[in-house]
Amino acid sequence: MEDLAEGIIKHAQKLGAEFADLRIENASGTTIVVMDGRTKAMTTSVETGCGIRAFVGGAWGFASTNTLTRTSLRQATEAAVDLAKAAKAKAKLEFEIVHAKPVRRKEVYRCRERAADVAIEDKLAYVLGLDKSMKALDQRISSTSARYDDLEADRVVANSFGTLSRITERWLISACSAWARSEGVAQRGHASLGNVGGYELMRRESAERLGVEAAEQAIRLLDSKPVPAGKFTCILDNKMTGMLAHEAFGHACEADSVLASSSVLEGKMGKRVASEDISLIDDPTIPSTFGYFSLDWEGVGAKRHALIEDGVLVGYMHNLESSSRMGVRPNGSSRAQAFNSPPIIRMSNTYIAGGDWKKEELIEELRHGLLIQGSQYGYVETAKGQFMFKCDEAYQVDRGEVGQRYRDASLSGVILDVLKNVKGLADDFMLADAGYCGKGAQTARTTDGGPHMCVSDMVVGGLA
Amino acid sequence: MVDIKGLAEKTVRQAMKLGATHCDVMVADAKYVSAEIEKGSIKAASMLFDPGVAVRVFMQGSQGFSSCTGHDAKAVCRAVELAVSHAKAGTRDPDFRDLPYKSPGGRASGLFEKRLASTSVDEIVSMAIALADKAGDDKRIVGVNASVNVGTGTYALANSNGISLSQRLSSFELGAEAVARSGDKMFSGMDGLWSRRLDRAALGRVGESAKEHALLGLRQVKIPTGDRPVVMDPLAFGFILSSAIGGGVNAESIQRKRSYLTGKLNQVIGSDGLTVIDDPTIEWGPGSYAFDGEGTPARKTLIVDGGLLRSYLYDSYTAGKDCVESTGNSSRGSSLWSFRHVPSISSSNLVVTPGDSTLKEMVRETSKGVYLRVTFDSPNLATGEFSGLMMESFRIDKGELGPSIRQSTIGIGVVDMLSRIDMIGKDPRESFGVRTPAVRVSKARIAGSG
Repeated sequence: MEDLAEGIIKHAQKLGAEFADLRIENASGTTIVVMDGRTKAMTTSVETGCGIRAFVGGAWGFASTNTLTRTSLRQATEAAVDLAKAAKAKAKLEFEIVHAKPVRRKEVYRCRERAADVAIEDKLAYVLGLDKSMKALDQRISSTSARYDDLEADRVVANSFGTLSRITERWLISACSAWARSEGVAQRGHASLGNVGGYELMRRESAERLGVEAAEQAIRLLDSKPVPAGKFTCILDNKMTGMLAHEAFGHACEADSVLASSSVLEGKMGKRVASEDISLIDDPTIPSTFGYFSLDWEGVGAKRHALIEDGVLVGYMHNLESSSRMGVRPNGSSRAQAFNSPPIIRMSNTYIAGGDWKKEELIEELRHGLLIQGSQYGYVETAKGQFMFKCDEAYQVDRGEVGQRYRDASLSGVILDVLKNVKGLADDFMLADAGYCGKGAQTARTTDGGPHMCVSDMVVGGLA
Repeated sequence: MVDIKGLAEKTVRQAMKLGATHCDVMVADAKYVSAEIEKGSIKAASMLFDPGVAVRVFMQGSQGFSSCTGHDAKAVCRAVELAVSHAKAGTRDPDFRDLPYKSPGGRASGLFEKRLASTSVDEIVSMAIALADKAGDDKRIVGVNASVNVGTGTYALANSNGISLSQRLSSFELGAEAVARSGDKMFSGMDGLWSRRLDRAALGRVGESAKEHALLGLRQVKIPTGDRPVVMDPLAFGFILSSAIGGGVNAESIQRKRSYLTGKLNQVIGSDGLTVIDDPTIEWGPGSYAFDGEGTPARKTLIVDGGLLRSYLYDSYTAGKDCVESTGNSSRGSSLWSFRHVPSISSSNLVVTPGDSTLKEMVRETSKGVYLRVTFDSPNLATGEFSGLMMESFRIDKGELGPSIRQSTIGIGVVDMLSRIDMIGKDPRESFGVRTPAVRVSKARIAGSG
């Protein structure tokens, strides 16, 4: 495979590519979905293919093929170079890809028990157990869904700088949803857990408890009320702080958005963008996290990226192109969903560092506001500078006392204001939810986290 | 050239030999070409060849599924073995009745445009540049990001009940985002097009709209929290409706009592002016098909009739469970099919019957309200409650469109939202799988930062 990869890169250069890279992948993944006590689907997908990029004077060509023969790879290479030349002929921008140190490395993600070696019957027993645990919790649980996914991908990355690496990536994720009904009210609870590694992850107590967590949340929400709409000071839990780190700032720190003039952080390097207590980091090198990788999809060694230090913007996340155009070193932030997608700049494990308040102190100090818990989803438009995320549960806080439970609160804010409005950070930092981030029609596995954090002037959308 | 119909039929036979009681196989042969613009300059062109096979097998109702890239006989054989072993391992499901049988109908025109298949990369690059030039045609526009995506595919579907069908589908999609700056103010405007046919005229229309809305947003205001009438652009209403109705009437969610529309058949869920149809037979509609992901012929389904909920959307499994006919809403992806996805229920093209107002009239007849153009939020389908960010919205004052609103959200129950529609536009457009005009909702809770 490696010989084939090097031959193809040389072929691209001969055809006129100033820079070329490729990713050859063999991947296989299993998905099991159980609903209401029965299997809904048991799935295996087998993916084989190669994606090739060619660069000519400021424009890229990308082609992919699902057939791994020398002939099909050469045809894809020719298509990629032709596409780059066609784009280059009409491009206004001109730049080059600055030489990066070649990396020749092999890595197999460590695990104690390969998911691929575990019998499908054993995996099914685990998922059926999750589903059963939800129903068993309370008679008001009316419907349940439990899901398990694993993937093992063998990926060769080669480029015309001499990089030739081979990574065997392994990850798993499990998720539960429970629906509860009582006296005409319906609510949904959910819980998930994911990591790189092997099936040992699913044998832990935390993985076994997912169903109970989802069901407990659905039951709790049955007596919740719609959240009042308005502007509030909010205490965000670890999951929501992580969501804020990811949505409110992480995306705006991706250098491709900055180069496209679609980030409000363009021109803000070295300037204060947050309160001085804030440090924001993206770090793919943290072992045993869902966002982990040691080598990015362009073959660049991954690094911890400090994005904000003590309130000042100090870095962006880069790939080979953005680092070349901005005159900095690449920092290994390029990822592709699969061989048939070109690599783009992505986050990994994104978090806000902890502070020195106690969580209880943050609550005690809050005169009137909301305690926000659990994250459903969020999104951002970096050019408008606005973001939104939706929580699982919210609680009224009145003179330091936690009271009424609310549901379905959506929180919105302005990127350049929100982190200046941070009033306190707790000392209970943790990386929270594993999940997927979507960008440019691609998904990437990520983790977010942080401490409990108090922020003023959040706009909360609700029905009341 | 692989005979994909023959491959689908042969693969069904293989699965049945291995003990499957029912089986369907979809063989795809698709190609995607795209061009991307960054900051006004062509940045990348891509070409993807994406052949593959999806094998779905049932044994005593237990469903096993496997997919593989390419059409290689060994890989397909392995996929069959995996699907069969998964079906064997799964639990029995007595609610599974059968897969569809051959039936007449399902002839839809306007699914595949030959011109798109023969459009050259140079032409696609030129179209992307034309789109970006239009979107950037003002000195206050500091950046334009745009893309043109063309896809064509041939899909063969065979099952163990004798169905053997094929159809060709094409797609043409445009997207443009213009970023405007003036002093310390920054705003972006976006627009897009989703169709099955080439539409060069749309390049100017989409580009102009992205530019116009970016510039409109430079004037910004904060508003206080309160109840206001909301004029919803097709972009916003389409996005909300695709989930609120498209997801809400999914028969699986109904049968499992997960949808806020459970038990609401023949009840009022909207104003008497609101009629919504699922229609996969629309010529050039981005969600149109001749047959669905299981081979059921395409047919129209009346979902909401003058505010009354009339039907749910079914595939063969849920139809069997409810002892009704499938509505032909088994989906294998979006505009173009994917061999990677297990078939599941989805709307095709949701169509809102137009009314007689123009967008201008709706704004003119609103004294103090909000014009919501873009949101990317969906309702909670369990509760039917919707709260989301007004990503792009404008204040309406005395019938005039005013500045863009910063940091504000909208909250309303979906049934309340649909019931409070008091004006429906007469100019529909495609928006996220929904063909809808603008509508006015007489009252919603708006949370502001002012």
